[in-house]
Amino acid sequence: MSQADIPEAAAAGQEGGQPQRRIGVYICHCGGNISDYVDVAAVRDALKDEPGVVVSESPVFACSDGTQHDMIDDIRAQHLDGLVVASCSPKLHQVTFRNVAKRADLNQYAYTQVNVREQDSWAHPHDLAGATEKAIGLVRAGVAKTRLSDPLEPLVIQTVPRTLVVGGGIAGLRAAIGLADVGIQAVLVEREPKLGGWVAGFGATFPNDASGAEEVAGLLEEIRQRRDITTYTNAELTGKSGTFGDYMVELTLHRDGSDKALSVNVGSIVVATGFDSYAPDDGELGYGIQGVVTLPQFKEMVDATPSGQLTHAGRRVRSIAYIYCVGSRQGAGGNEYCSKYCCTATIHASLQVGGIDSSIRQFHLYRDIRAYGTNELLYNASRDAGSTFLKFADDALPAVATLPTGGLGVTLVDVLTDSRELTIPVDLVVLVTGMVPRENRGLVGVLKLPVGSDGFFNEIHPKLRPVETVVDGVMIAGCCQSPRTVGESVAAGLAAVAQSAALLKKGFAELEPLVARVNPEKCIGGGECLTTCPYDAITSIEWDARTIASVDPATCKGCGGCVPVCGRDAIDLLGYTDQQMRAAIEEMISTSEPVKEPVS
Amino acid sequence: MDYDVLVIGSGIGGMESSIKLADMGYKVLLVEKEASVGGRMILLSKVFPTLDCASCISGPKMSSTINHPNITTMAFSEVAGITKNGDGRFTAKVREWAKYVDWAACTGCDACQKACTVAVPDQFNANLAARRAAYIAFPQAVPKKAVLQREGTSPCIGACPAGIKAHGYVSLVRSGKYEEAFQLVLDATPLVGTLGRACYAPCESECTRMKLEGPVPIRLLKRFAADKHYSGQDSGTPAIEVAEPNGRRVAIVGSGPAGLTAAWQLARQGYGVTILEKRSTPGGYLRHAIPAYRLPQDVVDADIANLTSIGVEIRCNVSVSDPEALKADGYDAVIVATGTQVATRMDVPGEDAEGSVNGLDFLAAVSNGAAPELTGKRVVVVGGGNVAMDAARVSLRLGAREARVAYRRTRAEMPAHHVESKDAEAEGAVFELLVAPTEIVTRGGLVTGVRLQRMRLGAPDASGRRSPEPIPGSEYTLDCDLVISTIGMSPDPTPFAALADKRGRITVDPRTLQTSIPFLFAAGDVTAGATDITRAIGSGRRAAHMVDRWLTAQPLDGFTVLDDRLETISADTVLARQTAFGHRHPVSGDVTLTKDPRDFTEIEAPLTELQARAGAGSCLDCGVCSECQECVKSCPAFAIRMDQRDQLHDFEVGAVVVATGHKLFAADLKPEYGFGQFPNVITGMQMDRLLAPTRPFNSVLRPGDGKVPERIAYVSCTGSRDKTVGNPLCSKFCCMYSIKQNQLIMGALPLADVTMHYMDMRAAGKRYEEFYTQAQDMGAIYIKGRVSKITEQDNGDLLLRYEDIEHGGHIVEASYDLVVLAVGIQPNRDVDRLFGQTPLGLDEYYYVAEPSAELNPGQTTIPGVFVAGTASGAKDIVDTILHSGAAVAQVAAHLEHHHFTEEALV
Repeated sequence: MSQADIPEAAAAGQEGGQPQRRIGVYICHCGGNISDYVDVAAVRDALKDEPGVVVSESPVFACSDGTQHDMIDDIRAQHLDGLVVASCSPKLHQVTFRNVAKRADLNQYAYTQVNVREQDSWAHPHDLAGATEKAIGLVRAGVAKTRLSDPLEPLVIQTVPRTLVVGGGIAGLRAAIGLADVGIQAVLVEREPKLGGWVAGFGATFPNDASGAEEVAGLLEEIRQRRDITTYTNAELTGKSGTFGDYMVELTLHRDGSDKALSVNVGSIVVATGFDSYAPDDGELGYGIQGVVTLPQFKEMVDATPSGQLTHAGRRVRSIAYIYCVGSRQGAGGNEYCSKYCCTATIHASLQVGGIDSSIRQFHLYRDIRAYGTNELLYNASRDAGSTFLKFADDALPAVATLPTGGLGVTLVDVLTDSRELTIPVDLVVLVTGMVPRENRGLVGVLKLPVGSDGFFNEIHPKLRPVETVVDGVMIAGCCQSPRTVGESVAAGLAAVAQSAALLKKGFAELEPLVARVNPEKCIGGGECLTTCPYDAITSIEWDARTIASVDPATCKGCGGCVPVCGRDAIDLLGYTDQQMRAAIEEMISTSEPVKEPVS
Repeated sequence: MDYDVLVIGSGIGGMESSIKLADMGYKVLLVEKEASVGGRMILLSKVFPTLDCASCISGPKMSSTINHPNITTMAFSEVAGITKNGDGRFTAKVREWAKYVDWAACTGCDACQKACTVAVPDQFNANLAARRAAYIAFPQAVPKKAVLQREGTSPCIGACPAGIKAHGYVSLVRSGKYEEAFQLVLDATPLVGTLGRACYAPCESECTRMKLEGPVPIRLLKRFAADKHYSGQDSGTPAIEVAEPNGRRVAIVGSGPAGLTAAWQLARQGYGVTILEKRSTPGGYLRHAIPAYRLPQDVVDADIANLTSIGVEIRCNVSVSDPEALKADGYDAVIVATGTQVATRMDVPGEDAEGSVNGLDFLAAVSNGAAPELTGKRVVVVGGGNVAMDAARVSLRLGAREARVAYRRTRAEMPAHHVESKDAEAEGAVFELLVAPTEIVTRGGLVTGVRLQRMRLGAPDASGRRSPEPIPGSEYTLDCDLVISTIGMSPDPTPFAALADKRGRITVDPRTLQTSIPFLFAAGDVTAGATDITRAIGSGRRAAHMVDRWLTAQPLDGFTVLDDRLETISADTVLARQTAFGHRHPVSGDVTLTKDPRDFTEIEAPLTELQARAGAGSCLDCGVCSECQECVKSCPAFAIRMDQRDQLHDFEVGAVVVATGHKLFAADLKPEYGFGQFPNVITGMQMDRLLAPTRPFNSVLRPGDGKVPERIAYVSCTGSRDKTVGNPLCSKFCCMYSIKQNQLIMGALPLADVTMHYMDMRAAGKRYEEFYTQAQDMGAIYIKGRVSKITEQDNGDLLLRYEDIEHGGHIVEASYDLVVLAVGIQPNRDVDRLFGQTPLGLDEYYYVAEPSAELNPGQTTIPGVFVAGTASGAKDIVDTILHSGAAVAQVAAHLEHHHFTEEALV
């Protein structure tokens, strides 16, 4: 179509004086994820003649670069003023396609993502006809919403080049240094009286026998040398307001029996609050019996014994049994997850034991030895040093008891030895306890952190955005996210630094303009909305000699909670106006079976 | 051009690093050796433990990478070397490999890929399927641009003095594109049928198949294409593009292969071309010397008709005496291609007697219907070249009782092509070796014999051949009725004497073929002495090119056909890259040789279509691209650039991120698992391809016979935790990708049983244990114990031998339809040479060393150089992304520090 044809064509599409929209619709195959369960071609064809639809295509991967370019070409050549992509969840690719619109000089809020994967193809894998009909309805609804879209611009705010790090363990300390080194001020708060977390209490650590205590001391020295790092111990984060890039956080400093409040302006927050060690129940695998200890207790004992003899409760230890996976891999109802670090940590500690007293006999009762990567070398070394490994089945845990002869006995069915039942007399039983999420209810409340079913904090997406949370500008790193090693925690801390820097170094940030807006003509200052807003974004103002509500767009999250409470319909949510949502619903209903009582 | 950071490798680690650094505002140069960014992740099916489709995660990252305003991506390029500058910055040399496609013009439409006639294993499908030599890396490639894989000039093309793309037409015949094959040769010369018969095929001597069971029958394939064309409906009107007449005229003196070829090339460019031929019929040596049993006259006629059909005028019986006169006649340029017409005299007594002739006159007379009556006569041919063989064999055909070839050296030194001498002997010619004529014996003016002196070989002469020396007193007389002298030929310089050297050759600049008279060019044997048809054709093409350049006032260069070929690839390189050879029975010509032949029928039979396809099918595609030109013709954007070459660029960068990733274990290094031998033993990467949305087949099937497998086994730790292959390390991701595939297979093939033989299930990571449990709940079976051996059964099924540890420790053999080897990670040794003299530190397993891995992940042994992802050791995707984030923080810290220090200095 040549440019000269456009006005005529557009004019031909006018109805009742309203200029017809020119919308491009793309229904994605998602390489089979959608097209295996939805007749994508039928959806495309159904949309072809929809009023306002100028382009209707069905690419294999809408998100691929090639299709993105095709869309840009279409937007330019066909003078599109609306874009609808029916594909996956907007959480995955809304930003991707908004950027497509942007690159084609189309207002990015003229883009609507329709989710026909999570909400259709994956939900209805055995009903092609039904899923196809549903897809047509969903896409029509998306088109209807797009027809009524208005151009919007993101709100631009100045960002503060300062980051709050919550937690002074190894990940938090390293992150603070990393922030300072890239030119972002770091404010570190630690709940405990001392910085350093778990690692500060460790002697030699795997894989390189570096002393945890010395590593932490080194980091603390680095911190002292940097003006741009401020640390607060005995301190907690107790409040947060403002918006991503420009948060005001409230710190409570526990000082000399009284609390002091401190407000700090930060652009982002890195949460690195770490883990707790699993505490076995009394009687769990003999816990409570003299000579049965947890891995942290054992580690402390080993670290405190430079050489000579290992003793426990004043008696020489000549034999040790390690029972792995205590508090981990418990199956449904328990801690289902693997704690990842404990296999190698135990093997490493057992090598330390060999260094102290090579005559100590060591038995490792395991399920799978997860000495992944180079940790395998430690596993090899421990076998070479004489450790014996015995494997028990997932459903046949060993038993620990005091033997009639005195001393401890560990009984297991060893699948590596013809599944025979063995009882091993030992002086010490080490329960290889895993990690558990730390109790952080207050922090979760303040930051509205997402907590997973395993109790650890959740990232947005482990591959796309591994340190970001659903709360803009709030990142997580280290073992508060999931069990991991020192090196992995540090890497995550630094990744959070990189993410903070990517957000803050530009000096400004763009916020969604999809916020509530008060129509001052309609608002009578009823005030219902004021108490509804969870973000305190609505205030009363004087306008035209009347008291009305006003929404601060930088604070508003666009949750829409205020919209329905207004008795006068005076609040609308930009991008999701009542008019748009009604039109979308109408379209969706008109597609499916006739309904008896039309809603509207 | 300067950048803040150079990122090497655009896998997920490289992309993540680049995007984060670019988001911070740093200018990033990203160098990727493949034609697309994306690395290995984009090739996966789905990723654990979320089962996100890899394309959905990787694709948009790829797009963000190349569209980011702060990232410059150089794909299909390699970092050739990095040196540290005095100021702590680095100079990186980047080699942008020739893509042979203008990426600015390429639209990624894949027309070239569809047209390409060469198939090679598709590395992006883990070699499960083939791709073309012209290819777009994979369907979601970013940028989506085509590349031609050219590993060098194929030896057959490199050997052709005419610059004919032998590999190209072989490949076209293989694809059934016979007319295209004809057209490809026609593009070089009109003499397609002639070359298909009379060429000595230096291409075949260089053919890599020669090192195996025998060469591709290249010449006969050309004849096959020519015969197909000439016997078809469109013979006589070659569908060749001819430019509009440009108003300029060129005269060509002589109508041998050089003249005809030059005329053809110029006429197609719109020149008015007139060939001036002294004899009564055109063709020169082709018509007047090569006997019809080798080259039938109607083939020469058909070839010459190509020329006349596009308007070339051939004027016979015209002797040129003055080139200046041609200029005066309105010709803008003249090419002299008169060949070697003067036979060398023996200079012995009796040479001019009746019954003594020279070979050229003899053969010309026979060709022109003036053959002497030789029935029952005895003929002695003096000389040992091809003309000697032709003369002897023609004599026999004319009824001679005896045809003896008298040659002064031994059989080994004979200049005739070995096939010619062999065939001559088979037809009854007798060789008198180590003899030289001293006299033609006559009686009454008629020849009765030839006096010969026996010779012996002395010291080597200038040509390296040992010079014959007479043996005193050894003369004898050989009775005969006809002596044919064929001891050499030279140009006839008569009309151009002023331009000729003392051997009668016209002196030209060898690259431009221009004489000292600017409008006068010379081509072929008249400039070089007697050579062969291919050289004459090459020379004719060159002359035509130069005349065009001269007449259009351009510099006399740019003859890329012969002067700018890629280096010829060596046979050893070609053979080394083959993973398997099918033995091919060599297809060769079927030549009928009878003793004492009596007619001039063509002695060589054409190839049947079956033979032609089979013969062409044995081509090893040495240079990969065959230069068949199909992509050039099919590209709607005219983007193919065969003359593109590698380019070197220097960049100054502030920091370097090495994100070169890893290699996968080569499973054939565990011969007991039979990978590479048993087709139904595949690798994990191959299974990922079978499961991917862009999979090569439409289902999960086993490669051996296409059967949909019902019992599938996984063998974990293939190449990992295995001191026997030198790798005691755990590869970390294989357990998880196996579990992922277990789940996907159970989705794709609900009836299939999936069993994994494992050592330890290393499901260590967020949600990994839960993912493992989920696979068990879906029905996957997990058996502890390492598989010791795999054997193949007759039906392609596989027997796995292992110790059943958990059930009594018996040795068990279990049968499966398909076995997947969970191959692990290997270091990518490409990093070794990145930093030249001061190499990057590696750990003892050759991964990039991180001296302070725990506290400073990403730092290497060189300040300012960082590592991201699996280049420093086994990592899964999540680890790689976090590690890349850490490396980015380190890079930024380095750059900021450098920046502060610089400011402090100022």
